[in-house]
Amino acid sequence: MAQDSVDLSCDYQFWMQKLSVWDQASTLETQQDTCVHLARFQEFLRKMYEALKEMDSNTIFERFPTIDQLLAKACWNPFILAYDESQKILIWCLCCLINKEPQNSRQSKLNSWVQGVLSHILSALRFDKEVALFTQGLGYAPIDYYPGLLKNMVLSLASELRENHLNGFNTQRRMTPERLASLSRVCVPLITLPDVDPLVEALLVCHGHEPQEILQPEFFEAVNEAILLKKISLPMSAVVCLWLRHLPSLEKAMLHLFEKLISSERNCLRRIECFIKDSSLPQAACHPAIFRVVDEMFRCALLETDGAPEIIATIQVFTHCFLEALEKENKQLRFALKTYFPYTSPSLAMVLLQDPQDVPRGRWLQTLKHISELLREAVEDQTHGSRGGPLESWFLFIRFGGWAEMVAEQLLRSAAEPPAALLWLLAFYYSPRDGRQQRAQTMVQVKAVLGHLLAMSRSSSLSARDLQTAAGQDTDTDPRAPAEQLIRHLLLHFVLWAPGGHTIARDVVTLLAHTAEITHEIIGFLDQTLYRWDRLGIESPRSGKLARELLKELRTQV
Amino acid sequence: MESLLQHLDRFSELLAVSRTAHVRTWDPVTVRRALQWARYLRHIHRRFGRHGPIRTALERRLHNQWRQEGGFGRGPVPGLANFQALGHGDVLLSLRLLENQALGDAARHHLVQQLFPGPGVPDADEETLQESLARLARCGSAVHMLRFNGYRKNLNLQEDSLMKTQAELLLERLQEVGKAEAEGPSRFLSRLWERLPQNNFLKVIAVALLQPPLSPRPQEESEPSIHKTPGEGSQALVHWLLGNSEVFAAFCRALPAGLLTLVTSRHPALSPVYLGLLTDWGQRLHYDLQKGIWVGTESQDVPWEELHNRFQSLCQAPPPLKDKVLTALETCKAQDGDFEVPGLSIWTDLLLALRSGAFRKRQVLGLSPGLSSV
Repeated sequence: MAQDSVDLSCDYQFWMQKLSVWDQASTLETQQDTCVHLARFQEFLRKMYEALKEMDSNTIFERFPTIDQLLAKACWNPFILAYDESQKILIWCLCCLINKEPQNSRQSKLNSWVQGVLSHILSALRFDKEVALFTQGLGYAPIDYYPGLLKNMVLSLASELRENHLNGFNTQRRMTPERLASLSRVCVPLITLPDVDPLVEALLVCHGHEPQEILQPEFFEAVNEAILLKKISLPMSAVVCLWLRHLPSLEKAMLHLFEKLISSERNCLRRIECFIKDSSLPQAACHPAIFRVVDEMFRCALLETDGAPEIIATIQVFTHCFLEALEKENKQLRFALKTYFPYTSPSLAMVLLQDPQDVPRGRWLQTLKHISELLREAVEDQTHGSRGGPLESWFLFIRFGGWAEMVAEQLLRSAAEPPAALLWLLAFYYSPRDGRQQRAQTMVQVKAVLGHLLAMSRSSSLSARDLQTAAGQDTDTDPRAPAEQLIRHLLLHFVLWAPGGHTIARDVVTLLAHTAEITHEIIGFLDQTLYRWDRLGIESPRSGKLARELLKELRTQV
Repeated sequence: MESLLQHLDRFSELLAVSRTAHVRTWDPVTVRRALQWARYLRHIHRRFGRHGPIRTALERRLHNQWRQEGGFGRGPVPGLANFQALGHGDVLLSLRLLENQALGDAARHHLVQQLFPGPGVPDADEETLQESLARLARCGSAVHMLRFNGYRKNLNLQEDSLMKTQAELLLERLQEVGKAEAEGPSRFLSRLWERLPQNNFLKVIAVALLQPPLSPRPQEESEPSIHKTPGEGSQALVHWLLGNSEVFAAFCRALPAGLLTLVTSRHPALSPVYLGLLTDWGQRLHYDLQKGIWVGTESQDVPWEELHNRFQSLCQAPPPLKDKVLTALETCKAQDGDFEVPGLSIWTDLLLALRSGAFRKRQVLGLSPGLSSV
């Protein structure tokens, strides 16, 4: 408590000084500075109120002799009064100063003074004498007409902005940059007041004709903050304009999404999909410039976590939401594919962008082979000069979970000789950085496992141990090596799909999941598989049930 | 029902008293009770705002009150102004009490406690009084900031937000007064004319006459159709202007030509009187041979430029009005002797000036001169 009160005194001095400099916030500098400090000042007011409400008037003045000046200065700064709940907290603080039973004239005067300040805050600052006289003459009080007046002013300004935007050559009616900047500053404290939404929207959408950005960064930050906290609702076009005009806002929106994803329950793609759709980023990403930034940030996350499966899953969900949003866009306004994937060959992009749902099931194998050929071409062709080499191709491929996650399943289900193209694709998917030799080795390994699995699928009795031996999993190898992960997933696919799989499922999982990390990985795998089956409608009831049960059991274990 | 109406009466009285020194006698209990009544009536407003019969009954009661006070427009309304006001009667009462110096210390302290209890559980159902007051303060700041940092007076008065708001209020009030008594609006307007700054009032009237028909507010949707007649307020204004020649003269004098043209186009009933006025003004001018221009005899006579301006503006109006104006001018010219030579009849000169102005305009626009209807 003592530390709190020392902090409060320090803060008090700081804010007293600030308020004196700001005065009535009538210059550009004072307005800008006020805007930047609004949230912190409100926090300070809250702390002050908590302290003041415990004391009586006399004690307050002993502790803070200049409290009346502080509060008065705050009340005369319209930016502070307009912000969020500051006016309410100021009123509460003022009320603490009132003496219930004034003992002397000084206290009486104080009461009168407080009353005067309260009136000032509430009486809605009068400006035009004529307007005030007129409304009074009609018998209206400010409460009757101020909302209507605000609405008219906002709509009038919004339409002026639109006219300025559309009609830039008519220099008479042009809005000067100073006026635009001023308007954007004024909106900062008012962002969360719904009456002002049309003006905020107009400021975002109507960017006038100046080559450089005129609106104040504080404005963009305030709008973005309000959007992320759901304190304002703007049409998508306005949000897109915001993110196009102010890159830090877009970055912040992505970071906000990442934070939500990290802090939420691990490995639940349904929830991730909700968060992603909620963030409006997939829709916004229909604009290529935004897509590139979002892409870059995902790429960084992937690199930093060294290809963590959760990030990959998130990217896949995002891509799916993005494609859905793109589909809904007006066909005439759609950008060419090349703008989203500039470093990819058009044929590859087109194949990958196909939704498996739109391709007949019988042709899935064929499509995967085609994808494999194109990718291999891109990866092994050193002279192509494409940026980043194999990693770039891999980053492209992993986005499309519909295809990427399908390879293993297709391999298991084909009774014939596993096609080399698919083996290559699978090896590439799990381990993009391998050299040719390493990859060839992996392909051989996988082929062997597949052979064993195929044989076992025909036998009537299965045992988990046998499976493990067949997969070569019982040897002491690094469980996190990509090849190990690959084999693990193959085994799990097998268990879910093979007729006798359900009997040994739990045993297999127990054998495989000997660390917490692997258990999480298996949970992720199951969740992803169910999510994909659900989306594509390819679930067989038995497999689905088994997968769900396993998932539930595993989730209780961690 | 009767108890509700009595409540209304009593609260209206309370509201009227809250402005006077009489509050000196109020103690905390009185304050609390007053606020409770206000809150009760606010509930009523919310519940029965759409309910035809109850709302009508309440409105009729209010209209009675006005009549007893001697009609509207005598001064700031002491009690409740209209049905809408019930929706924020508590705010009205609170502000009046807060500003009233006569309120005793104990009562004031209690009032402040009631108004601003501090942070607490927000009422999910409706906005608390504290929230309403905070929102008013916020709204006021918003208006203030926009006024000084963004607002620029619109040269087209009818699009100016301050003017529009005043016009909307005037039309709303006129409609209500019209409901209360048949002759109400005219008397009301006359009283306003005596009391309010006249220049601003005239501008507001012009803007009001140019407003699109009032769309019914959401809570009025269930009202009988009689209340939805668009332009009721406008009609009252036109009626009053036509019945008060000196007001109309001031109206035509004070307002810019373009605005008057718009008003007259929209309300054809005004055009004969307007033209009549212009004719009178024109006849007061005589030709000064030395200077070669038309001048007035007295300082308040409308000068040639202004006359010309107004006619020019009228000639740019769409057909029915434009033709009327030209016909009027031709008639006057004929009555004067139908001269073609300048300097003999002001009507000739005006027509000449208008024609050449129109000709020059057509040249500039690249239009064929032969199709001039002037």
